[in-house]
Amino acid sequence: MKMNLVLELQDIPGQLVSVLSPISSLGTNLVTVIHKREDKNERGLIPVQITLEGEQNNLNAVISKLNEMQITILEVDGVILREKLTTILIGHVIDTNVKDTMDKINGLTGVSIVDFEVKLAGELESSAKLVVESDFGMKKKVLNKIQEIALEKNFLVVSEV
Amino acid sequence: MGFGAVGKGVAEAILLKNDFIKENYGFELNIVAVADSSGSAISKEGLDLKSLLEIKSKTGKVSNYPVYGTDIKDMDVLDNVEYDCLVEATPTNIETGEPAKSLTIKAFNDKKNVVTSNKGHLALFFKELMDESQKNNVQFKFEASVGGAMPIINFAEETLSSTDIESIIGILNGTTNYILSRMTSEGSSYENTLEESQQLGIAETDPTQDVEGIDAACKTVILANIILGIPCTYKDVYVEGISKITSESIELALKEGYLIKLIAEVSKNALEVSPRLVKKNSPYAVDGTLNMATLKTDLADEVTVIGKGAGSLETASAMLTDIINIYK
Ligand SMILES: NC(=O)c1ccc[n+]([C@@H]2O[C@H](COP(=O)([O-])OP(=O)(O)OC[C@H]3O[C@@H](n4cnc5c(N)ncnc54)[C@H](OP(=O)(O)O)[C@@H]3O)[C@@H](O)[C@H]2O)c1
Repeated sequence: MKMNLVLELQDIPGQLVSVLSPISSLGTNLVTVIHKREDKNERGLIPVQITLEGEQNNLNAVISKLNEMQITILEVDGVILREKLTTILIGHVIDTNVKDTMDKINGLTGVSIVDFEVKLAGELESSAKLVVESDFGMKKKVLNKIQEIALEKNFLVVSEV
Repeated sequence: MGFGAVGKGVAEAILLKNDFIKENYGFELNIVAVADSSGSAISKEGLDLKSLLEIKSKTGKVSNYPVYGTDIKDMDVLDNVEYDCLVEATPTNIETGEPAKSLTIKAFNDKKNVVTSNKGHLALFFKELMDESQKNNVQFKFEASVGGAMPIINFAEETLSSTDIESIIGILNGTTNYILSRMTSEGSSYENTLEESQQLGIAETDPTQDVEGIDAACKTVILANIILGIPCTYKDVYVEGISKITSESIELALKEGYLIKLIAEVSKNALEVSPRLVKKNSPYAVDGTLNMATLKTDLADEVTVIGKGAGSLETASAMLTDIINIYK
């Protein structure tokens, strides 16, 4: 049987091979690989779609192996596992206790901040980029949480369309 | 009524297209009165549009039109001329909707059709205006009021008539799209970019209506009412402009593959104008003064339109299309 996976990988030579070699040793065949380079982000991560063929047991073993290797699996057979949410916060991000802001978001179950970067603009105002990964279905909850914090700390939230 | 950028554009468009309209649709347009804030020119035989444009550009007043120039103003103009259709392009007023509202209702009561590019009165009194036009059994068209030359209202109603439109998400203000696009390409600050746009004549001396999202919010109200059938007015829209957007925030968004755009969202769940993140390669990634809108439909999935949201002839083109649709 066949299985489609969308992984998130570094777009550097060798990265794909290091992921694929354990796969082939688990008795599955690689059918196709599609790099979605148009969706590359600044951290050099791109979604890579791979199609595998093999026995159900072996396919399951591949998933376990990838989890063990800490590779982010975005989708299995079209089912989204992990969702990513990017937001930009504008305001007194630093002065209003960054740690508290991050703790509040990380405190949600199945949610983790994968990237946080602050840039100062002028004296006090700053802009922050916040990338959050969450279990499927949590996106709305995460956004609500961010908006709640923003209301309290007077940030402008720029969220995805 | 109104002989500024759009009003003059309509005159130019008619000069260019009258023969074409006659050939293809079998009627001719005759402009029997034109008014600006100072007065009017009224002639039941029809005004010469070329000299009218010349006089307006030389003296600033249509009342200087030879013989037929008068100091008759506002509502009185409508009482002093026999006409079929009011073409209304007076300034947008988001406090009272005037003078557009009174002019329009008077025309309806006199059983005249109205074509407008204005959005203030529509954003404040949509239902009242629609009710009045229906009560008087006249046509009321306002394609130009949303997105200038970008087809959207007629497009949704006529071209997508088999589908149910669930939401519209788009960029409905060209000035802010220009400012954000320049901030993105140049890495410049909001203040400097606004100043540059003012020098280029893209942003107005008082840019409030554009940069604070007011203009886009008016268009949100119009689309919500006419396309999605959501009864609402200006006060129902959550509005956040672009004046807080920093070059740093744009830079951070770019790192994740996003652009920041002033997005209008029109759906049962949200009536909102706010800066949002859009994917770099998505249909939302249009630059400069362009407008765009993605209509989410039940049968046709997503359909996107892009076009010039402003400009004299461009906006006039939408008004002329409305006129043709009424009389063809
Ligand atoms: N510009 C665009 O690209 C664009 C695009 C889409 C929609 N619109 C809408 O179209 C409308 C017109 O825009 P515009 O750019 O042409 O504005 P504009 O250049 O400021 O022109 C407004 C015109 O209205 C006249 N006016 C003011 N009060 C009047 C009154 N009481 N009676 C009769 N005329 C009056 C002005 O007279 P004076 O000449 O004496 O000042 C001027 O001729 C606005 O509602 C705007 O929001 C504009």
